[in-house]
Amino acid sequence: MSSVKLGLAVAWPAFWTGVPIKVVIALLLLATGLHPWEMPGLAFLLLLSIPIDIWALGLSSRTVFLERLHLQPPALVGLTLWWQATLFSALYLPIAYLIGSQAVAGAQAVASRMFELELLKTMPVPERISIELTMWGSAAAVVLLVLALGWLFGFGRIVGRQVATARPAAEPYQALVRQWDLLRVPDDQPLVLTVLAASGVTLVVLFWAFMPVSTPHPHELYEKPQEKVGPPLKPAEALQKTEKLIAQAESAVQALEAKAKKDVKNKGKNKGTGKEAAPSKADQPKAGKTETTPGNAAAPTR
Amino acid sequence: MNSQPSLLEKVFAFVDERVGLKTLQAKMLNEPVPGGSRWAYVFGSCLLFIFIMQAVTGILLMFYYVPSADHAYASTQYIIHEVDYGWFLLSYHFWGSSAMVVMVFTHMSQVFLWGAYKKPREMVWLVGLALFGLVMAFGFTGYLLPWDQRAYWATTVGVEIMDKTPVVGDFIARFLKGGPTPGQMTLSRFFVIHVMILPAALMGLAGLHLFLFRKAGPAGPFQGSVEELKAKTDYFFPRQVWKDVVAMAAVFFAICSLAFIEPVQLLEEATPDPGDYHPEPEWYFLFLFQMLRWKIFSGEFGQFLAGVAIPNAFLLLLAALPFIDRNPERNIFKRPIALVGWIVVMAGILIFTVSAIINREFLD
Repeated sequence: MSSVKLGLAVAWPAFWTGVPIKVVIALLLLATGLHPWEMPGLAFLLLLSIPIDIWALGLSSRTVFLERLHLQPPALVGLTLWWQATLFSALYLPIAYLIGSQAVAGAQAVASRMFELELLKTMPVPERISIELTMWGSAAAVVLLVLALGWLFGFGRIVGRQVATARPAAEPYQALVRQWDLLRVPDDQPLVLTVLAASGVTLVVLFWAFMPVSTPHPHELYEKPQEKVGPPLKPAEALQKTEKLIAQAESAVQALEAKAKKDVKNKGKNKGTGKEAAPSKADQPKAGKTETTPGNAAAPTR
Repeated sequence: MNSQPSLLEKVFAFVDERVGLKTLQAKMLNEPVPGGSRWAYVFGSCLLFIFIMQAVTGILLMFYYVPSADHAYASTQYIIHEVDYGWFLLSYHFWGSSAMVVMVFTHMSQVFLWGAYKKPREMVWLVGLALFGLVMAFGFTGYLLPWDQRAYWATTVGVEIMDKTPVVGDFIARFLKGGPTPGQMTLSRFFVIHVMILPAALMGLAGLHLFLFRKAGPAGPFQGSVEELKAKTDYFFPRQVWKDVVAMAAVFFAICSLAFIEPVQLLEEATPDPGDYHPEPEWYFLFLFQMLRWKIFSGEFGQFLAGVAIPNAFLLLLAALPFIDRNPERNIFKRPIALVGWIVVMAGILIFTVSAIINREFLD
């Protein structure tokens, strides 16, 4: 197997094995308000990633050794691969970043300069954007691909050194598949399931406990409605007040009834003399008040 | 030892006798996976998971959302600012819809690259294409509901593109809008389509998709000797189930992270005047929108060509694919036309989408 293929066979599954656990940690950091791409969240995440990466590299490399290469994986293969890959990446990645950024900047400059030619100057903006992007994007993609292959080649060489020291596995293919399975499915399954379920429940509780109840990004135009707090209700006072109100209403009704009786009496006397009773002051419309017209009734109440 | 069955066992036996739980369980979990479990097979399960989560968050949002032009914006603001964890539920629902589009593209790509659409799985592929259409319709109808400028103008642009379809375009546009400009009728219709018609259609078609898939059986890997595949063939439970669960958890955490990093923030309330806002559709239609900006697609015919003819011709080609490509070879590295075609389409979508984003920055 070539170095690039060997590197890919170990690095790709190791990456995806570690990702779900790292995402959980990153999410908990987000819920607490710590951004995993800023300090100190980033440092915390990177620190926790070390044991995860060692475990993931060990798991995926042992799988490749047994299943694909039919070799007995060396002891502590995960740890060995991790420190060697870390050392290699610490040297390779800054150089790759420098080359990559220079290549992208160079490709963008060349593409932009091409559109300064008289022939292309009149090209409409949407076409220009897409063509320019295709030009520098293709060049940048090729450079990035070569750089990625370079890293895989280097990592493949590191794995290759472990392969060279490994003993051939004696078991037939079926037994290897079983052994490879046992590596990933632990013996004490109820214990594993219990630990997983407990971790899940703990994470869910932590997640909801840390998460802000109201939005951490309020809208500039949204004003929170101010709630008016009324005075606290005192039942004894409220009852007294209501009783007083009822007594007042009762006396008002009695006064109205007495007045109505008096009016009926006056009407009977006037019938005898042929005079109409003048309306009392209370029956006259008050100054400044108008009658409700259909037009008024239909007016908006806002 | 007490050999008497417990109450739980009795209840289970009672239900099993009438429903056939054990048979159902055996049918669901003991399906052979040729060549063993693989991460490449997780996308369908992830889609189902995202849909269930969309349904759950959608129902919770409906408790507070008011589908009227007067109150849609205010009720959405209320969800974001007043309802406990409302901002998170809305953001999860928003990013979940994007995740569904991404996942449907990934699932279709996997099926295409693995050659799993070929005989005898043509029907699975066709129903899958219909489901793809439903997912896009979900995104399109849901986008209007917050009733802000982005929602209003994305719908306006989308309906205008549909309007260019010959014969039925005008009818579809008038039916969706319910008037000359988007308003109450549009919102009501989009709401009903989003929360009633599409979920019912999706549940029916997803059920049919799964039934057809189980009937035809999984296609398995496209390379490897018969002996190797036979030695690795495994049941759906536990390894593929475990992979599916891990993938679903990863999808869940990814959507949650996006909801935290970029929560939904409304623009101003929808008005028929775009003001400073540059109208554009949802991100997954941006490639089409950018194509429409090209000079060769200007004018009535050009707009029809880029907005309707090319996308529909592409969908028709996808539908006809299992009947055109009858070669039983499934290995993608031995199908150069399929591989190059897939790369060109994906690169085209990517380039036009990024171009649209650059163009937006240019306009701003």
